[in-house]
Amino acid sequence: MVGPGGLNVDSSANHLRAPSRTVTLGRIQPQAPSFRTVYCNDRDANFPVRFKGNSISTTKYNVFTFLPKGLFEQFRRIANIYFLGISCLSMTPISPVNPITNVAPLSMVLLVSLIKEAFEDWKRFQNDMSINNSTVEVLQDQQWVPIPWRKLQVGDIIKIKKDGFFPADLLFLSSTNPDGICYVETANLDGETNLKIRKALERTWDYLPSERASEFKGEIQCEQPNNSLYTFTGNLVVEKQTLPLSPDQLLLRGCSLRNTEYIVGAVIFTGHETKVMMNAMNAPSKRSTLEKKLDKLIITIFCALVIMCLIGSIGCAIMTDRDHYYLGLQKNDWEYRNGMTIAFFTFFTLITLFSTIIPISLYVSIEMIKFIQSTQFINRDLHMYHVETNTPASARTSNLNEELGQVEYIFSDKTGTLTRNLMEFFKCSIGGISYGCGITEIERGIAQRDGLKIHEEQRSTGAIREKGFNFDDPRLMRGGWRNEPNPDLCKEFFRCLAICHTVLPEGDESPEKIVYQAASPDEAALVTAAKNFGFFFYRRTPTMVYVRESHTEQMGKIQDVSYEILNVLEFNSTRKRQSVVCRFANGRLVLYCKGADTVIFERLAYGMDNVRKVTGEHLEHFGSSGLRTLCLACKDLNPEAYESWNEKFIQAKSALRDREKKLDEVAELIEKDLILIGSTAIEDKLQEGVPTCIETLSRAGIKIWVLTGDKMETAINIAYACNLINNEMKQFIISSETDAIREAEERGDQVEIARVIKEEVNKELKKSLEEAQQYMHTVAGPKLALVIDGKCLMYALDPTLRVTLLSLSLNCTSVVCCRVSPLQKAQVTSLVRKGAKKITLSIGDGANDVSMIQAAHVGVGISGMEGMQAVMASDFAIAQFRFLTDLLLVHGRWSYLRICKVVMYFFYKNLTFTLTQFWFTFRTIFSGQRFYDDWFQSLYNVFFTALPVIVLGLFEKDVSASLSKRYPGLYREGIRNSFFKWRVVAVWASSAVYQSLVCYLFVTSSAFDGKNSSGKIFGLWDVSTMVFTCLIISVNLRILLMSNSITRWHYITVGGSILAWLVFAFAYCGIPHDRNANVYFVIYVLMSTFYFYFTLLLVPVVALLADFIYQGVERWFFPFDYQIVQEIHRHEADSSNADHLEIENELTLEEARSYAISQLPREISKHTGFAFDSPGYESFFASQLGIYAPQKAWDVARRASMRSRPKAPKKN
Amino acid sequence: MSSNTASSSAATAGSGDASAVRKNSKRPKYSKFTQQELPACKPILTPGWVISTFLIVSVIFIPLGVISLFASQDVVEIVDRYDNDCIPAPARTNKVAFIQGSADKACIRNLTVTKRMKKPVYVYYQLENFYQNHRRYVKSRSDAQLRSPKYENQISACKPEDDVGGQPIVPCGLIAWSLFNDTYTLSRNNASLAVNQKGIAWKSDKEHKFGKKVFPKNFQKGNLTGGASLEPDVPLSDQEHLIVWMRTAALPTFRKLYGKIETDLEVNDTITVMLQNNYNTYSFSGKKKLVLSTTSWLGGKNDFLGIAYLTVGGICFFLAIAFTIMYLVKPRRLGDPSYLSWNRNPGGR
Repeated sequence: MVGPGGLNVDSSANHLRAPSRTVTLGRIQPQAPSFRTVYCNDRDANFPVRFKGNSISTTKYNVFTFLPKGLFEQFRRIANIYFLGISCLSMTPISPVNPITNVAPLSMVLLVSLIKEAFEDWKRFQNDMSINNSTVEVLQDQQWVPIPWRKLQVGDIIKIKKDGFFPADLLFLSSTNPDGICYVETANLDGETNLKIRKALERTWDYLPSERASEFKGEIQCEQPNNSLYTFTGNLVVEKQTLPLSPDQLLLRGCSLRNTEYIVGAVIFTGHETKVMMNAMNAPSKRSTLEKKLDKLIITIFCALVIMCLIGSIGCAIMTDRDHYYLGLQKNDWEYRNGMTIAFFTFFTLITLFSTIIPISLYVSIEMIKFIQSTQFINRDLHMYHVETNTPASARTSNLNEELGQVEYIFSDKTGTLTRNLMEFFKCSIGGISYGCGITEIERGIAQRDGLKIHEEQRSTGAIREKGFNFDDPRLMRGGWRNEPNPDLCKEFFRCLAICHTVLPEGDESPEKIVYQAASPDEAALVTAAKNFGFFFYRRTPTMVYVRESHTEQMGKIQDVSYEILNVLEFNSTRKRQSVVCRFANGRLVLYCKGADTVIFERLAYGMDNVRKVTGEHLEHFGSSGLRTLCLACKDLNPEAYESWNEKFIQAKSALRDREKKLDEVAELIEKDLILIGSTAIEDKLQEGVPTCIETLSRAGIKIWVLTGDKMETAINIAYACNLINNEMKQFIISSETDAIREAEERGDQVEIARVIKEEVNKELKKSLEEAQQYMHTVAGPKLALVIDGKCLMYALDPTLRVTLLSLSLNCTSVVCCRVSPLQKAQVTSLVRKGAKKITLSIGDGANDVSMIQAAHVGVGISGMEGMQAVMASDFAIAQFRFLTDLLLVHGRWSYLRICKVVMYFFYKNLTFTLTQFWFTFRTIFSGQRFYDDWFQSLYNVFFTALPVIVLGLFEKDVSASLSKRYPGLYREGIRNSFFKWRVVAVWASSAVYQSLVCYLFVTSSAFDGKNSSGKIFGLWDVSTMVFTCLIISVNLRILLMSNSITRWHYITVGGSILAWLVFAFAYCGIPHDRNANVYFVIYVLMSTFYFYFTLLLVPVVALLADFIYQGVERWFFPFDYQIVQEIHRHEADSSNADHLEIENELTLEEARSYAISQLPREISKHTGFAFDSPGYESFFASQLGIYAPQKAWDVARRASMRSRPKAPKKN
Repeated sequence: MSSNTASSSAATAGSGDASAVRKNSKRPKYSKFTQQELPACKPILTPGWVISTFLIVSVIFIPLGVISLFASQDVVEIVDRYDNDCIPAPARTNKVAFIQGSADKACIRNLTVTKRMKKPVYVYYQLENFYQNHRRYVKSRSDAQLRSPKYENQISACKPEDDVGGQPIVPCGLIAWSLFNDTYTLSRNNASLAVNQKGIAWKSDKEHKFGKKVFPKNFQKGNLTGGASLEPDVPLSDQEHLIVWMRTAALPTFRKLYGKIETDLEVNDTITVMLQNNYNTYSFSGKKKLVLSTTSWLGGKNDFLGIAYLTVGGICFFLAIAFTIMYLVKPRRLGDPSYLSWNRNPGGR
């Protein structure tokens, strides 16, 4: 009999997959069209197929492609193309400037970038070489011969020694360990440090010594290379016997051998065809929104340039007059033939002349600033260093610093991010009796609100408290359970905990020193609990589990018991349960099962209603206390029935197609008529400072969405505890657990179910949206919150409903999505990112968050825990959720502010400079005569104005870090993009126009007549040098005017830049040479006049006066928030303030927390949090949907299900 | 992604002694730089600062303006436009034909000194609507050629005035070719007045840009005559009118120094200028003016600086008052939290 519920779960999961496939996210794994056949130990046979070699190359370039490809990469940047074009133009005779003016800055920029590329690629190359040349022992003529990795070929038989790395994907043949097993560390693949077990087919166990191995002539038929790390299907044909292969026999490149002397394997996939290399996807390179807007600005500038040139060329065509005979304009001059040609050529002349309007060094400078910001400031911030895990923050890309200052939506994973993922066994219920006297914080909150006083229970002396175990009840501890009404059930309960799991013990086999390696902390907590109850699981072999049981026969007696594990029925998100079939030493066959309450309750034997009801109540109570629950059940098996079932199981296991599905079906056959033992409750602790952080972030105008795989009730509870939802909010709950949907599901028709759910979701969404809009119209309406579950979300994300969902959720302050798959997390993120065009940030810690992290503008990974997938995919890695406050409110806000100022300043300084040229052309019949000397113009950007702006980009801060956190509202300026609006651009542009006019007009109109007492007259170059000097001073001083915080570096660089100009001018004007004949001695001539000094005082002051007035008026009448904050704290010193604030933060943390708890819902929710909702389990889901997210748990589990072969061969 | 480093041996070493690494604290070292706590001055543009800055500027600028204005007022300047008047009345219908013709172009102008002019008195000619700053014009010269006879063939930039029948022109180019050739002879009260035409060029030009051994060659030998001729026996470094002319002007209206009178001129002195009106500005209706001017320590007669200083100083003073009044009329308490955007509209979602 198959439970109807089981089918439901299954079908709905199928549903989940079907529409999702259309969405392309990450790399969809290629569907192998055919199988590949590998002849082991026979290079000649494999030769015709021409498999790829084993050498790898991760470099981007080689010696020949470096220059073309590297340059091509550089010229993908539009500004570089522009400058290339300008440089080419400047080589032609129509150019008014020497080519050096444009070529020098461009080559400098290119050179710097190319050197950086070359250096990085060289390191990659060296890395590749050392890998390709490391040696491995290959079987040749019955001898192990060391050859370099790169010469390895498909089909070779190789030997890997202990701690060696696998050079390719191997078929595991034999091992020095008994039972043909070996231990593998996969840290390089997924960051997990626990060991995995691999097991060779028994048929190949004895091909171990070289003579024996050389006799091995197998034929491997397997799938084509693909990137799925955790699947493998194939067959090994040895002596006309076909043996099924599974991932258990596959040793992946990149892993290393542990605890095994050596193994022998056959090469299946080599080089770039190995799974790890196939997974080498480049993280999508992200560009910040600000940078994209910068492109728009550049295009606008370019348009301005074209307009300027058009004005000039038309003016030139009109005004050019052959009557100016001294210009030597002749009829046969191609350039001056008629108005059209004049306009045409002048246009290009002017483009070359005005090319400086586009700041060439802008990108390089910004990159430099961002690089320092991320490596020096973010990575080294002590506020973001987590002492317990010894983890500093790490910016993995420096592209997105300023994006951090504009985040409006945060998508957060729950487990491991908001909560600690530190599971502690807290309570349990055995046979209808609830045990455990701890009180969770949530419970404490409820009680506090109800006005009840809680007497802190005195812990019984010697209560055991360790990682994963926070349980105390004298009725159970230290053998106390023997006096309980149901000691046998207690025994079963503990045994189930000790046996039914996939945990690996590591280290010393003593209760104090043992370390449990588990895929999920829930499992470790359960096994730890069993240990503390006196059922100490201490050793596991592929077929056996050893438990040291105490107090079973009589008090204090200790006994080592071994259980033979016959089958492991794996966990997955459709099954929501896990079972183990084991044989006791006395031959008793038992199935232990643990899983979600709904799944277990459906499969109970008749006559359990009473216990079921009581346990159900307990589960609800646990759930409302914020605990995660699991139900335990067992069943005695009849040996004959088991044998017949086992055959089906083995068949399913060796199936090449739909293996998972068939296994699920077989499992259904045996997981029925279970006896309910009881349930466990595990506390999932909140991360430190999460409520405060969330509160701060929401005051900063950031909306936080929780996307979790948890059950709705668990998610809501956590949302309450985190301050995301409170009772004052209007909650919209869209759940698939409604009667209509349930009814449809019971009928079981897929199409019908889909239709009903969609209709329901549509109805709910419409209704909620209407209501929400009503609230929005009222002035003091409540804040809104939306809770939606994964199944509904799937339909809500349908294109037809998407708009409704989006507009509803944007009106909500917080959104909780529960029961969502990794793909849905990514879809929700994309929905807001693309649909609402808001800047999004995703934060998560597990492999299931990878797609979400990559889909958001900014991805943040939680580091310092196990598992590197999220961090590897992320842009920033922090150790704790609460560090988001620092990352966003301090670093993000400052970076945004700084980059905005830097961009604006670059825009302003180049515009000012170019405009003086522009004004000058008006007085030269638009002939395009350059105003400044070539070198002045080339060095303006890269030398005389380069450093102060970098200092500005590094040290600018409006208010201190502590004030940034104290006034989170300041962050809204970033969300509103206050500092990079077109209005701001316009202000800067008018400032540039004004200043260029002042510099140009004041100098030219005062330089007309004799300028010293000897009556000598200034020429063109004297005047232009004068203007240039004024310009350098004004532009550099402008930096000081726009800085909110002026360090000594500001003074040094601003002073230095002006000084650099003077020193350069002295040197350059002092050398008599034809190149600089124009400006020879000019600066000395200028400086010998009083006029020079009088102008030098007047012009910069007048130029900056307008900005000064503007800033004064703006601050007084239209102050920015930061300016008010500056004023409030103008008398405070920076550092003392910080200390003071630290303490204050600590206080508010407690307050906020107790407040959050007091806000918990009054009614007890029907919530029984189900403990296996951890990221590891969901990732299974992901791999099927084509998202790269390895399932962690089931590797661990598989090694236990090795007893899959029929018993027959053993007898042989 | 991970796989790039996955198979690297470096990663091996890393994970191999992970426990050893773990003992080493990754705690970042404290420095004021990395913690972004560098001591800094944090200027806030409070009204006090704004007003006092305005006051300071006006206090400095107004006296400076007065000083420069006084300096400029001291200068005596006589300007005489002669381009029109020096064409005989009958020829005025076609001035270009007259100036290009071979008729006598002598012309007499009488100037009266209105104010005592202390020596030295500088004689300038002023051209208007003459584009010495045109792109074609500015680049039409060869600095190498001017400096040394070695480079007399470097004439590529000089087109179209580069060579005559294959022989390079020295000095080549449009600038030199169009050398101004009006001449002035001055007399005061019928007594001749010496105009010293030496020392009118910047010393640096004379010594370094124009060679002592470079002599004019093939100059003005082409079909068209542009302007003055040069004496072939005088080295370029001594041809000071050429040197002055070749320091091209920034704007289409410009003055060039012609010479200096090294005696004082008294009030009501009559200066008679015998001028040769040779230079063709009539093609493009350019004006020609003769200027006699003294100088002050700040240079010639130019009120611009003085007026600018005074105006800016005045504006600042006015602004200081205006801001003061504004602050009195519409005061804002410094650091008033009610101005914070989130306090202004608390309901804002």
